[in-house]
Amino acid sequence: MATSVAAHAPSSAATLASRIWSWITTTDHKRIGILYGATAFVFFLVGGFEALLMRLQLASPGSSLVSAEAYNQLFTMHGTTMVFLALMPLSAAFFNYIVPLQLGARDVAFPRLNAFSYWLFVLGGLFMNASFVVGAAPNAGWFGYANLTSTQFSPGLHVDFWVIGLQVVGAASVVAAINFIVTIINLRAPGMRLMRMPVFTWMVLVTQFIIVTAFPVITIALVFLLFDRFFGTNFYSVAAGGDVLLWQHLFWLFGHPEVYILILPAMGIISEVIPTFSRKPLFGYAIVVYSGLLIGILGWGVWAHHMFQVGLGPVADSVFAATTMLIAIPTGVKIFNWIATVWGGKVRLATAMLFALGFVAQFILGGLSGVMHSSPPADLQQTDTYFVVAHFHYVLVGGAIMGIFAGIYYWWPKMTGRLLSETIGKWHFWLFVIGTNLTFFPMHFVGLLGMPRRIYTYDPALGLDAMNLVSTIGALVSGISVLVFVYNVWWSRKRGERAGGDPWGGATLEWSVSSPPPPYNFSVIPEVVSRLPRWSVKGMREIPEVPAEPIHVPGGSYWPVVAAVGVVVAATGAILHSLWVVLGGAAVLAVSIYAWAFEPFEV
Amino acid sequence: MHVDIYERFWMWGAGAIVAIFLGITAFAAISQGRVPPSHAETVDPRNVWTDPRFAERGVKTNPDGSVEVTMVALMFAFQPNEIRVPAGTPVTFRLTSADVLHGFQIIGTNANTMLVPGYVSQFTTEFDRPGQYLIVCNEYCGLSHQGMFATLIVEEGE
Repeated sequence: MATSVAAHAPSSAATLASRIWSWITTTDHKRIGILYGATAFVFFLVGGFEALLMRLQLASPGSSLVSAEAYNQLFTMHGTTMVFLALMPLSAAFFNYIVPLQLGARDVAFPRLNAFSYWLFVLGGLFMNASFVVGAAPNAGWFGYANLTSTQFSPGLHVDFWVIGLQVVGAASVVAAINFIVTIINLRAPGMRLMRMPVFTWMVLVTQFIIVTAFPVITIALVFLLFDRFFGTNFYSVAAGGDVLLWQHLFWLFGHPEVYILILPAMGIISEVIPTFSRKPLFGYAIVVYSGLLIGILGWGVWAHHMFQVGLGPVADSVFAATTMLIAIPTGVKIFNWIATVWGGKVRLATAMLFALGFVAQFILGGLSGVMHSSPPADLQQTDTYFVVAHFHYVLVGGAIMGIFAGIYYWWPKMTGRLLSETIGKWHFWLFVIGTNLTFFPMHFVGLLGMPRRIYTYDPALGLDAMNLVSTIGALVSGISVLVFVYNVWWSRKRGERAGGDPWGGATLEWSVSSPPPPYNFSVIPEVVSRLPRWSVKGMREIPEVPAEPIHVPGGSYWPVVAAVGVVVAATGAILHSLWVVLGGAAVLAVSIYAWAFEPFEV
Repeated sequence: MHVDIYERFWMWGAGAIVAIFLGITAFAAISQGRVPPSHAETVDPRNVWTDPRFAERGVKTNPDGSVEVTMVALMFAFQPNEIRVPAGTPVTFRLTSADVLHGFQIIGTNANTMLVPGYVSQFTTEFDRPGQYLIVCNEYCGLSHQGMFATLIVEEGE
């Protein structure tokens, strides 16, 4: 199944079916990256649509656009979709496409495993969203606090879909994380020492370590819940001596590192974008890298700040207040480094740069309200109100999503060979900034005035109508801005300017090859002599367009897809409470892993 | 290792800010007794209604003038759903849940705690401004979560 250069040349006889087949069986990290990005963007639109429905429902008090039951499903699936099916895989699109290019590698360490992660993610996401089709979408919140999730209080398939779907998607993340850790450690080009790696790749490495360590925690919590629901165990049953706080501890022990899984890749992206468009090396590279590492480590010691309201006692509360304040330091250090990078630089305000600067500005707002929560007395005024909603949406929309858009505008020409429109891009940026601020800024006040989270409607006597209406208008503006982006994508495909290898004058290795890069990435593996190979005084040797001799790249394989189908068949069997279907799915998985393992490398 | 003067400035500055934050928290906690509610007392959620501590719910005035409020949360109400307490008097709340997790937030005050089935949540606070306050459940508890509220009436003290 090996292919050479010649086999990758576009053939006019290639039918649509064989083109689709080549995408399904692909093990090329670039194609998988595009698949991740496209799929995650569709899930992003789904999650955004859910958010819009919620905002329309909350536009006026006492509204009955959706029922309470539908609203509960919407906010549960909005959170779950955005975290697990949109933000994480959108970052994964960049991990896949960019990391091997930045490392000077020809692919990831385990290309077929990479395909398996993707298919597991997409099938797991479809599995969870299939719950809407059978009218049993999860409805216990994305945080699924026990004991509301027990069979006693949540009968039916709602929570079953959630508990099984999350395990499937989580497995996809762990598999991908191991793949990227091995790739980054082992496949660096000669001369690329760890402290010469681009910051984006560094942040990806930290993120993958967090994924590998955090996801097993949520898996354990979910397995306990699964056993409680399917086999009658009592992990979270208070009456039988279980403890509902166990879930909260496990969930947030995963949940807070998860926040850094979402934000660190975005921080990595803007650490690439800001230097490129300021024509200056990143200020304090080593400090930025160490801050990222420190965030990854400290992120493990702050989880109970989600639980001040439980009443854990002054000692626990003080310790977690202190660690939460401490984690603001590396974050603040990074912000100062980005600002110092822009300072005195030759700044070019391309759309990618606007989004990166937008990230810095909005992330500061979200970070400040985050530090406010670190103080337990203040937290008690804010927790479970819309103030918290405002806080984390500033971090995740104003931060993570902004960073991802910066990455899209920055690397789009590398991925497609064409530039996105700067004019439409600026419309997109400004509408997005205005929209998200209109949506989330009033929520600070709405929260402090006492509007609790997760209520499907509210009383006009609360006097919160006007600000809620503003939030809804803002959400619609944000929605329009995303449509503007979709139009930009369409425009770029039709009329986008040809990008060439290096449209921005970037410093890192991905800009030294053509756009899009050839299947083998580098005709000659580059030698790295500096942190910014393309900006260094010594310069780097040009990489020839055409390799001297054909380069072997791994061919396609359908076994990863079959294996992922096996997992989802087993998951469906669990939903159907049919042991035979579960065993059937497991058999498919076992056979495909066997076939995959013994698949001949050369055909 | 050579550390630039600017970097040293930021390092010490950041350290000082953290020291100030932690100092204020420690001062408020230790010298002013401002700690979040914490009270490890358990109750069997199956017998909440017959448990002597919760069999009689409502407002009780202790001999020393302090006031004690006992309430139970359930899907989707507070029992009792209206309480009257005097202004300017320490009020101790003793709360628990009969079924799932609930929240207990008195809007416009600093009273906010989670009601965990199996545990008694206890905290003491004081209301200075007489008037009517809304008590809401802020911990998502199911279908009618938005309709779970009670009323607190703070009356002019004698």
